[in-house]
Amino acid sequence: MVSVHRYIRSIYRVGFRAWWRQLNYIGDAKSGRLVGADQFGNRYYENYNAEEEVPGRQRWVDLAQHHYHASQVPPEWHSWISHIRKDPPNEDAVMVASRRPWQQPWTENLTGTQGAYKPYNTVAPKIDAWEPKSAPRA
Amino acid sequence: MFRTAANSASRVALRAPGALPGASVTNSAGHLPQDSGPAAQRSLHASATSLQDKAPIPNHSLSATEPITTLAQRDSNQLSLETPQNKAEYVLSTLDKVANWARQGSMWPMTFGLACCAVEMMHMAAARYDQDRLGVVFRASPRQSDIMIVAGTLTNKMGPALRKVYDQMPEPRWVISMGSCANGGGYYHYSYSVVRGCDRIVPVDIYVPGCPPTAEALLYGMLQLQRKMRRSRKGVLWYRK
Repeated sequence: MVSVHRYIRSIYRVGFRAWWRQLNYIGDAKSGRLVGADQFGNRYYENYNAEEEVPGRQRWVDLAQHHYHASQVPPEWHSWISHIRKDPPNEDAVMVASRRPWQQPWTENLTGTQGAYKPYNTVAPKIDAWEPKSAPRA
Repeated sequence: MFRTAANSASRVALRAPGALPGASVTNSAGHLPQDSGPAAQRSLHASATSLQDKAPIPNHSLSATEPITTLAQRDSNQLSLETPQNKAEYVLSTLDKVANWARQGSMWPMTFGLACCAVEMMHMAAARYDQDRLGVVFRASPRQSDIMIVAGTLTNKMGPALRKVYDQMPEPRWVISMGSCANGGGYYHYSYSVVRGCDRIVPVDIYVPGCPPTAEALLYGMLQLQRKMRRSRKGVLWYRK
């Protein structure tokens, strides 16, 4: 639950530097167990103490990039942070077994950058723009 | 000339699909003048980096210091606009950044709720997704809003009203097309009374897919629009011209 006591206790636990980062990116002082980090350097935490975090805020991510957004979380960790899977992907036996050697590395959404997906058409367009042809006057 | 056209084609990300680079759709942030041919765009965006041959963009990056978004911007015109080359450009690009920060921190969408998408749009305002924490506040007046969310099926009867509301909005303005119906007609594509996509009426910045899109998807679209707002470099563009 939100309280001044919890806030100050969290600052005491994580330290001033981490608190300042949390204030800039999460907007709250949170402390918990570091569960793991993904290949991009995003760090994942959880805290199931009922007196400290309400359900829905028990798992969180500290994203590595300054301009962060949700697609920077790879799918394995997405399933953990959304409570689809109980265990984090490095400890989850099913997750480890379902990893394939031909699996492509995860790429975040590149909309708005040069790497954005641009579809192209290979068939002739159904609609042609109107090009008026005026008959010469007599 | 061929390379010029290719460069201008590679710059039109996030625009209406199918729009030709030459006769481009109005960019509401005012990046490019309307009806400017490739040659005009060339002179506007002329910089040293755009003339070099570009290395292919890598597919992924595992580095935290050089993420894929940074790699994708390498050698781009956008990066050259963000990198000041002299003191005047430094001042102007900083002013641009301040303006962008202010704009993306107070997005006031004009709600154009037309159908079931509007309910999801309301969910975005409700407690779970809580748009207020991002500074997104619904504003019922077009004269005091800068974004229009077209949520739902746009009918032929509603088309003129949509355009009128859009024309009443002050610059800079953005449009989010929400849902299949607003994107391209969707389920009612073959109906006699439905506009096949609201981008036939107004220029659209962000298309949010779904029928209807979740409130989460719409919020993600808003965040993508923030990303687009961050690209705005009007002062540097004016100076380089």
